[in-house]
Amino acid sequence: MKVNDSLKTALAGLRHAKTRAMLTMLGIVIGIASVILLMSIGTSAQNLIISQVQNIGSNLLFVIPGATQGSKFSPPASAFGIIIKTLKERDIEFFRKDPSIDKAAGEVHGQARAVYSNNDISVTYTGATGEYFDIINLEAEKGRLLNSKDDKSMEKVVVLGSEVAKKLFGEKEAIGKNLRLKNNSFKVIGVMEKKGMSAFGADLDNNIFIPMSVAQKQMLGIDYYSAAFIQGNNSYSIDFIKSRMTSILRQNHSITNPDKDDFNVRTQEDALAVLGSITSVLKIFLASIAAISLVVGGIGIMNIMLVSVIERTREIGLRKAVGATNADIMQQFLTEAIILTSIGGLVGIIGGAGFSFLIYLGISKFAVADWTFALPLSSILLALGVSTTIGLVFGIYPARQASRKNPVEALRYE
Amino acid sequence: MILVEKISRSYENDGDKTQALKEVSFKINSGEFVAVMGPSGSGKSTLLHILSFMDRASSGSYSFFGEKMEDMNDTELANVRNKEMGFVFQAFNLLGRSSVYQNVELPLLYSTILPSERKSLVEKAIKDVGLTEKTYVEAGRLSGGQKQRVAIARALVNNPNVIFADEPTGNLDSHSGENIMQILKKLNEAGKTIILVTHETYTAQFAERLIRLKDGEIEVDGTVKDILSKNYESK
Repeated sequence: MKVNDSLKTALAGLRHAKTRAMLTMLGIVIGIASVILLMSIGTSAQNLIISQVQNIGSNLLFVIPGATQGSKFSPPASAFGIIIKTLKERDIEFFRKDPSIDKAAGEVHGQARAVYSNNDISVTYTGATGEYFDIINLEAEKGRLLNSKDDKSMEKVVVLGSEVAKKLFGEKEAIGKNLRLKNNSFKVIGVMEKKGMSAFGADLDNNIFIPMSVAQKQMLGIDYYSAAFIQGNNSYSIDFIKSRMTSILRQNHSITNPDKDDFNVRTQEDALAVLGSITSVLKIFLASIAAISLVVGGIGIMNIMLVSVIERTREIGLRKAVGATNADIMQQFLTEAIILTSIGGLVGIIGGAGFSFLIYLGISKFAVADWTFALPLSSILLALGVSTTIGLVFGIYPARQASRKNPVEALRYE
Repeated sequence: MILVEKISRSYENDGDKTQALKEVSFKINSGEFVAVMGPSGSGKSTLLHILSFMDRASSGSYSFFGEKMEDMNDTELANVRNKEMGFVFQAFNLLGRSSVYQNVELPLLYSTILPSERKSLVEKAIKDVGLTEKTYVEAGRLSGGQKQRVAIARALVNNPNVIFADEPTGNLDSHSGENIMQILKKLNEAGKTIILVTHETYTAQFAERLIRLKDGEIEVDGTVKDILSKNYESK
């Protein structure tokens, strides 16, 4: 039987049982729509995270104090809240002197209540120097950023993240106002542009920045850093800069055995790789859940096709009597199953993409402005491939049942 | 030529063996009109199924225009059915929700005839049974007589050598039944071999030869005229 005839025959068969065909298709439509929706949202989230990390700065490396367990992507001890005091100003000074490094800055964090007028919110404050803002590519939307003079003279000044400014001051002008932080009065000198998350996953928009000297000495009473950020010199490769930083830290910390490193040097690429692998696994996980509904849909197809084979026993007998071979009958029923699942797949793709677009409209308007609509071609091809394969796999059994029918018995079937 | 030599057919059901045909032998020449008669259970349907390649004999030899059934696989049998045989059934066996055209076209879907040549063949077959004005009507909406004419058009469309008719008038009123038999008679006069299974003497009279079966064996094989004029009594 020619493919064209097979398609026509299968379509006619489906047309004669429209309602049943549509209900059968529904399982596949829902399954494929779920896969497309979750993959689309997952890709949008992945794109958002990666673009925000990339926006932080180019040629960026960072040092996290503490050793890692297991692979190089395992989190260091400091990530679990263990205080590591090994990263000091001396390390930063050595970085600055190295020709492969343009800029270096430490970072410390603390939690405090920020109070202005009747507004009282919990914030994360970051001790920073002027160089810190250059390295991680932060800019002030209003006012100015911190500079070395603020640090040296231990000025009680603060730069607010965009969200903090909104929460404390609303639509009012924040620059020049004083807010209270741990019973100290800080003058607002700048408000940051909207930035999103840092490479560590910290929400920069909900952060406030105070001079490093004030943070270390007056707020926290410490002399070490919780992290260091480095902007490499473009004349050198990232790997070379990483190896220089490693050498400097080992020398400063008197480490001879590399297995006993008490620090981690990571590049922006490392961070992107970690984030990329996390989001990819998440995407696969979500798609796998949706795939279960596809299997259920496939079983539905098989069930209905089996009923259809029984209902059309006489038709099968007739077709065999007039010359259809077993292969012709098998082809006809398989084609019907594949058409059902392929159309279901197409409708599912359109539905899933439509839902994803609505979600994009909602998120970009009400939650994350940088959220983009993503519909990867790979997910469309995958969905089409999966739906067709489901038709093939779950259609084979009923089609075989049909093809094996004895024409005499089939023609006698009541 | 159809040559049947000592074919037997037995069935086994829950350990019980039924012998439907017992060493039946005969020859049918091209262009003959043969009626097969016999009481219920005599084996006439079993014989028709074997002759039309829809069932296989348990033993014996069957040659259809030089092609031995026992040497052929299921696909080859299907191809012979498609090219050389046409079928008319008592229950019409039409696709009720398909048009007359689609029903008549059915055997061509499984043939090697090019799609471009199909239309004229289908239209000619429909014209031959006088149903041109019903070409695009759903088969399920036709009267019994019209349905059987569609079935005959379907049996003719491939221009087969042999037409097998299994009680073709069984579901029709006498007028429609006669009409159908006249069509079959004309087809025979045009050179087609007709093998008709019937239990009606009136219908058998349209044939030239009669094979009467009883208990799976040939009771009598001769001309219709001779057998019916002698009012042959079953043994």
